[in-house]
Amino acid sequence: MLNNTVTQSNLRRRIKLRSYLTSYVMILPAIIFLLIFTIYPMGKLIQLSLWQGNAANAYKKFQGLENYRQILTVRREFKNALINTGVYTAAIVVLLISFSVIFAVWMQKDRKINNLAQSAFFVPHLVASVSCAFIWSWIFSTDTSGLMNAFLKLFGVPARNWLGSSKTAMICIIVMNTWKSIGYYALIILSALKSIPAEIYEAARLDGSHNSKTFLKITLPMLSPQLFMLLITITTGSFKVFDSIRIMTNGGPGTSTQVLCMFIYEFAFNRPNSLGLACAGGVMLMLILILITLFDFKSLEKKVHYQ
Amino acid sequence: MAEIRFEKVCKFFGSNKVIENLDLTIQDGKFTVLVGASGCGKTTLLRMIAGIGPATSGHVYMDDKDITDMDPGKRDIAMVFQNYAIYPTMTVKENIEFGLKNRKVPKAERERLISEYAAVVGLTEYLDRKPGTLSGGQRQRIALARAMVKKPKVFLMDEPLSNLDAKLRVAMRTELIEMHNRLKTTFIYVTHDQVEAMAMADQIVLMNKGQIMQEASPEVIYRDPNNVFTAQFIGTPPMNVLDYTECQVGFRPEKVHISRESHDAAFARTGKVLTREMLGSETQYKVLLDGVETPIMVKTADDSYVFEDNVVLSVEEEDLYFFNNEGARIRKGDVADFDKYIRIAGGKNNA
Repeated sequence: MLNNTVTQSNLRRRIKLRSYLTSYVMILPAIIFLLIFTIYPMGKLIQLSLWQGNAANAYKKFQGLENYRQILTVRREFKNALINTGVYTAAIVVLLISFSVIFAVWMQKDRKINNLAQSAFFVPHLVASVSCAFIWSWIFSTDTSGLMNAFLKLFGVPARNWLGSSKTAMICIIVMNTWKSIGYYALIILSALKSIPAEIYEAARLDGSHNSKTFLKITLPMLSPQLFMLLITITTGSFKVFDSIRIMTNGGPGTSTQVLCMFIYEFAFNRPNSLGLACAGGVMLMLILILITLFDFKSLEKKVHYQ
Repeated sequence: MAEIRFEKVCKFFGSNKVIENLDLTIQDGKFTVLVGASGCGKTTLLRMIAGIGPATSGHVYMDDKDITDMDPGKRDIAMVFQNYAIYPTMTVKENIEFGLKNRKVPKAERERLISEYAAVVGLTEYLDRKPGTLSGGQRQRIALARAMVKKPKVFLMDEPLSNLDAKLRVAMRTELIEMHNRLKTTFIYVTHDQVEAMAMADQIVLMNKGQIMQEASPEVIYRDPNNVFTAQFIGTPPMNVLDYTECQVGFRPEKVHISRESHDAAFARTGKVLTREMLGSETQYKVLLDGVETPIMVKTADDSYVFEDNVVLSVEEEDLYFFNNEGARIRKGDVADFDKYIRIAGGKNNA
């Protein structure tokens, strides 16, 4: 009898162990990929940020935290890139979230024109961002192909060098990237809007709530999970903006559109012996994104309504 | 307290005609149940009263005031929806409070009303919870409290019990009756369940395909139906209706006398037991009469008959209902020779 219980508990333990092992074996492929393609490069990045070197010989001289001191206090480029990236991200977050909500509300009604509008807004998302950047370079161009200037000329507004002026270059990039992504984010908001039951709006009408109040008190809170997701993805995505700027302005004029990723690229491949500085910039970018995401979660999680 | 009156209302969804030229008065302070199969237009009527699904043409009056085009929020009406339609992002308290805030009720008054009605529906301890953490029955109570707190003149309910399990549904049914007795306002309740309608209503409005088949108290609807549709819609199992060349004859399963020996009555036929369902206090039989295609349902306290037993079914003269071939009721005073129909039912006219 006693023997029996001992073997039984033994058996139970073995079964438990086996299911434990099985579960790890199941996620092993994902873990391997994560280790090879994410964790290892991250470790390498941190390691490189402590050395001076170049692409051919990365470990020329150990620097300790000197690279960090350099980019944070000595070199103006990093701070400039950080400010530009911050401005760009803030503008993109505000514009994209507010316009995608506005467009989604506008496209909510089942009309034929709305289906057309939906696809029209979505198409830019399907075009490679390099191509988009070229299209908008032409639009903002100063020569005869410049649509923007041609359009403004109709109203008697004098031509401007949109991408060539430090005052307007960043605005042009913001406009282009908003245009490119709006359809995608509006689609996410639209599907969330359509999942709100019509009865809730009817109940609100019977409760004497008017359009603006219903929108603020009912629609927006019900969209909060999607809005929160948008906030996180747009913030992190915008901090990593690179290709469109590389095509449209290449960081110029001057350093007015130099962003963090351009800083990293520039120092890693275009300047001698500054790979370590680029890597330190990469580590800083990672830290900033982690901090922002943590802050978003901590400060907003309670306001997000999950079903 | 208010009376609701429909005057020649029509409703089209696209080219689909749901209601045409309907006139109906819903009495002040009564518990009125609109009942009918799905798609009969009962919810459409309710939505017209609420103002969230306006009539295509015609007028809706509330105490002689035309409310056809009035804003739903200004109608002094509260509605309980089938899926409750409570605001999922708000707490129980905020849900109840929303309508009051929109009416600019002062805060102290709001607090008083909320605690009063939360107590009525038994939600006091859940006021700070989100609806998502509550059960179906509790969500139903939020919807009721939200409706009651506005002290509306008319209460609209669109199948509010259909998402609850059977036991809770019966319990809520009596609670709603009590609520009506206490509030004494006009209740308009939509359901497809005739049992619910019979149990709760002061007045039943039975609808079919956008038309009112009969409008009466449950007792009258049950005992004195105007047509075959009403007779067969109300009652479980429905009324037995036999087709004759001259008319249709109906009788309720619970009025059939079942025996082994022949019995002298206006209607008496022999047959065989086809099925037997023992339900506890009563037993339901399906009997196939000799020479009649439609099986007859019988409901009786006698559970002694079994499959293939030979039985005699008999119905007294006063329990027979006659309808013409269009389905309209033929009453005793309606025709000169009423006895003719009794002879037809007894099979004596054909012989």
